[in-house]
Amino acid sequence: MSDPVLRILKGGTQTTLQDAGRPGHRHLGIPKSGAADRLSFALSNYLVGNPWDAPALECTLGGLHIRFLKKSRIAISGADMKAQINGMNVGMNRCVPVEPGDILTFSFGRVGCRAYIAVEGGLKGESFMGSVSTYIPAGFGGLEGRAYRAGDEISSAELETTGPQSLPFGYAPRLSRHIVLRARSVTEWDWLSPAAQRYMYTSPFHATADTDRMGARLRGDKIDLVEKKDMVSSPILPGTLQIPPNGQPILALIDGHCTGGYPRALQVITADLWLLGQIAPSSPVSFRRCFPEDAPVILRGRNAFYEGLMPGFRF
Amino acid sequence: MASKLIPRIRPFGDNGILIGYDVKGYSETACRTVHALADILRGQDNIWTNVIPAYDSLMVTFNPMVTEADTALRNVEEAYEKISKRLPRTKANVVEVPVYYGGENGPDMQNICKSSKLSEDQVIKRHSKITYRVCLMGFIPGFAFLSETDKKLHHPRHETPRGLVPPGSIGIANWQTGIYGLESPGGWQIIGRTPLSVFDPKREKPFALKAGDMIRFVPQGAPS
Repeated sequence: MSDPVLRILKGGTQTTLQDAGRPGHRHLGIPKSGAADRLSFALSNYLVGNPWDAPALECTLGGLHIRFLKKSRIAISGADMKAQINGMNVGMNRCVPVEPGDILTFSFGRVGCRAYIAVEGGLKGESFMGSVSTYIPAGFGGLEGRAYRAGDEISSAELETTGPQSLPFGYAPRLSRHIVLRARSVTEWDWLSPAAQRYMYTSPFHATADTDRMGARLRGDKIDLVEKKDMVSSPILPGTLQIPPNGQPILALIDGHCTGGYPRALQVITADLWLLGQIAPSSPVSFRRCFPEDAPVILRGRNAFYEGLMPGFRF
Repeated sequence: MASKLIPRIRPFGDNGILIGYDVKGYSETACRTVHALADILRGQDNIWTNVIPAYDSLMVTFNPMVTEADTALRNVEEAYEKISKRLPRTKANVVEVPVYYGGENGPDMQNICKSSKLSEDQVIKRHSKITYRVCLMGFIPGFAFLSETDKKLHHPRHETPRGLVPPGSIGIANWQTGIYGLESPGGWQIIGRTPLSVFDPKREKPFALKAGDMIRFVPQGAPS
């Protein structure tokens, strides 16, 4: 058992350990989980020289305070929460050395929802079905399957690293408060009224306070259903938009239920799923139509771009 | 086969295909077909990243970097052709699930008695007489959605879900019956509880049940 590399002084809104998730178990009711914003998570790991999928901290909204217990290197990507080390500002998307006793604090960001803190060598957590991703509803992964709180200590996973890296120009995604998601209409799209079908792709929604890793409840123009059949529980994926009877859509996120009982109107394309992790309460959220033939082209282009930097990375 | 049901096979987003029947309530044929189809597609693990059978639909996902959407669609159609001619007979294992019905374990038993005009004993008899199919797992880990229960026992969900339903609770929602694998909020009418641990992440085999299994409820005496 190695000595811990850091201690949590304040957990903030919600800080968990995440990796690339546990895919392929949805038929058992186990969501993929993993970093909600896969791209920012991978970039933070790249910067400290870790494999892109090494376990890292995911800090939601802010308020996290950490004391380092060992000499190491860290990098912060994703939402800018005005991080400071010992009161000095720390830049985003760069590899920063830390000394024992250094205190890293996060304020609260104005754009985006989640920041990733990668530590050289990766962080250690409890593995379940091949992943240490924390899944709070069922209490597995991370530390006892829960969010970190004051006093928790985390050890290094002691993965091999390639040394500090810098991010070439153009690779850091520029987050905006307004989240625009490209999507395709899916199975129960025809149940929407013609008016609802029109403004689904035009009028913006807002994420409500009821937004977490499982899903985002959106508020906006009422989405009327013309077909009002009872749905039996059916499969949904991260990025599926469901329309409950009150007409206010629910967007399933990375920890979302594997099945749902409401009509499914849209599915966000794979290349944009990482953005779901940056939907904060009150974020404006819009959907744009993606034509079927465009989605694979976008995905291939995006994957090729980032794979040059991070071998094996996939959106 | 009694009636000819034809499913719709459609893309779902850029990495999924949904095979769905348009049926009212529970259809044994639809459920058996999607599970047989799931068995075939599970064998093609070079294509599918998820094979998720449900009551009357099946979702499969693939990696669009490896498989073209058209190829994926064609694969599903071919698999369906194969089983549509003759549904393969599968020998599912039957799992016996002990249940303590009523009382503290089944706080909604009286609702079912009232709506069905049956005594508690009759409800228990009818609920445990049927061999159920595990049609789908989810929405949370370990929740087992089972096939249709006795017609007399059908009952709508609570309008306001309970804050917390203990793990192992057995409930009814409309024609469905199911088992809660985890403690969670829930709107089902709870009529009993099993001491069987349906889901335990600390166990080597975390899941006691899987989709496709058959289960039989075995009523137990009052818990000591």
